Amino acid sequence: MNKYLMICGMMLLPLAYSHSVLATAAVDELLAEYRSAGATEFSVEAGNTLWLQEFQDAQSGKMRQCATCHTDNLRNPGKHARTGKPIEPLATSVNPKSLTDIKKIRKWLKRNCKWTIGRECTPQEKGNVLTFIQTQ
Amino acid sequence: MKLVIPEAKRIWDLPIRVFHWLLVSAFILAWLTQGEDRYLDIHVFAGYLILGLFLFRIGWGFWGSHYACFNSFACGWRSVWRYLTILLTPQRQHFIGHNPIGGWAILLILGLGLVVTLTGLLTLGGEEQHGPLAGLISFAWGDIGHECHEILAWLMLGLIGIHIAGVLVESRLHQENLIKAMITGYKNTSTEDTASVANHSRLAISLILVVLSSGGSYFYGYFTQTAEHPYLPFIGPQLPDNATWREVCGECHLAYHPTLLPARSWQRLLNEQHQHFEEDLDLDAETLAELRQFASDNAAETHLTEPAWQIEQTTPLNQAPLRITATAYWQEQHEEIPKQIWQHPLVKFKGHCNACHLDAEQGTFEDAAMRLPQHSDFSQLSTKPH
Repeated sequence: MNKYLMICGMMLLPLAYSHSVLATAAVDELLAEYRSAGATEFSVEAGNTLWLQEFQDAQSGKMRQCATCHTDNLRNPGKHARTGKPIEPLATSVNPKSLTDIKKIRKWLKRNCKWTIGRECTPQEKGNVLTFIQTQ
Repeated sequence: MKLVIPEAKRIWDLPIRVFHWLLVSAFILAWLTQGEDRYLDIHVFAGYLILGLFLFRIGWGFWGSHYACFNSFACGWRSVWRYLTILLTPQRQHFIGHNPIGGWAILLILGLGLVVTLTGLLTLGGEEQHGPLAGLISFAWGDIGHECHEILAWLMLGLIGIHIAGVLVESRLHQENLIKAMITGYKNTSTEDTASVANHSRLAISLILVVLSSGGSYFYGYFTQTAEHPYLPFIGPQLPDNATWREVCGECHLAYHPTLLPARSWQRLLNEQHQHFEEDLDLDAETLAELRQFASDNAAETHLTEPAWQIEQTTPLNQAPLRITATAYWQEQHEEIPKQIWQHPLVKFKGHCNACHLDAEQGTFEDAAMRLPQHSDFSQLSTKPH
């Protein structure tokens, strides 16, 4: 019985690992893209700073930051600012699906930078944020 | 003159008494649940019960015991007139069964009752697309049926009022308790030619059993429901679905079904995708085209559900609301929802339809598929201001 459990556990290990590998693969591809677009070294610290930085929305005058929806702990589920719909945690350590779909990463980085900062992020900023999320 | 000592004799057999009081209960139940969408299933059950009872009564009017039979109390207007003109004089007539006006009341209540239940079925089939007439009647005819149903139900209430007044007047004039007689079945009579009436207990018991078992099976779902799988008394039609629609819209909010706004609203909403409630959707051309197609194929104009039909009918053609909550129909339907419900932690956002509508994901919005958040949550709310 224990033997079977161990074998099953051993099978689960690589499966769990494969997700973080996927996450790394998708992020690596994007980081390479950002580098070729002129970005230099990516920093977890710069990503963290941008994550917490507050920006004032031109129309509503309200302060916005990444944490508005995703909270300041990436391991926690977030909530859509307007509709309240739950958002799955971004941290790859608790949500293996996070950062695995390159199309989704592109889409949401673009859309959410526009909402939060009021403009698209630069390749440098995107790379910093992705590197930061990956460490969570 | 021969002296006859009054003795208690059975006039109303048990089936008639059971019928009478079941009808009273069913009518009260139907009246209390009218217009309350949440309790539509109870209202509909009361309606089926009334229809069933009337059909039974018609049968018992032909084959029942003496005083239950139509030919024992059906009479012409002349008898009614004669009865009424001498009612307040000492020569007034006394009938052991139904008096002429009482007999007419029974026949009128039966006839009107059948029409009320029939218009109820029209409403159910047309407006809700449920019941035996579902799919056979348009929403518009359902609406007309609904109007008639309400007017006739008020007439019925008036008729019942006259019936009760008549019973009270008769009881007083003839010094006999007619209400008690409808419970026990017995009346004191001194006339010798009183027909003998069997109690027909077996039939009455079967009648009660049929009502109980059909009630049990009708409401069975309430006993087996769980918090995760609440019981839905009415299941709406299977609406057309689209995976892209569900994914793209469902990422930020409930994927509102296209039936909830007219096609012009969806076109405007998708045209303005770069300013979608402060967000830039930034959809690619292919996704946009698919969403446009799905929206225009299934918009409110298709009349796939009652809300679709209502929203299409009540939204002026020169308006293209972007919010479902901005439509006249939505506002009318929600005007009685108290403020605390909207501020409830489980609701908060007016577009959070699925907080109360159990079938919001499917888009059918059946009348009886609503549950306001529990009151226990309210007590927490009042002590914990947000």
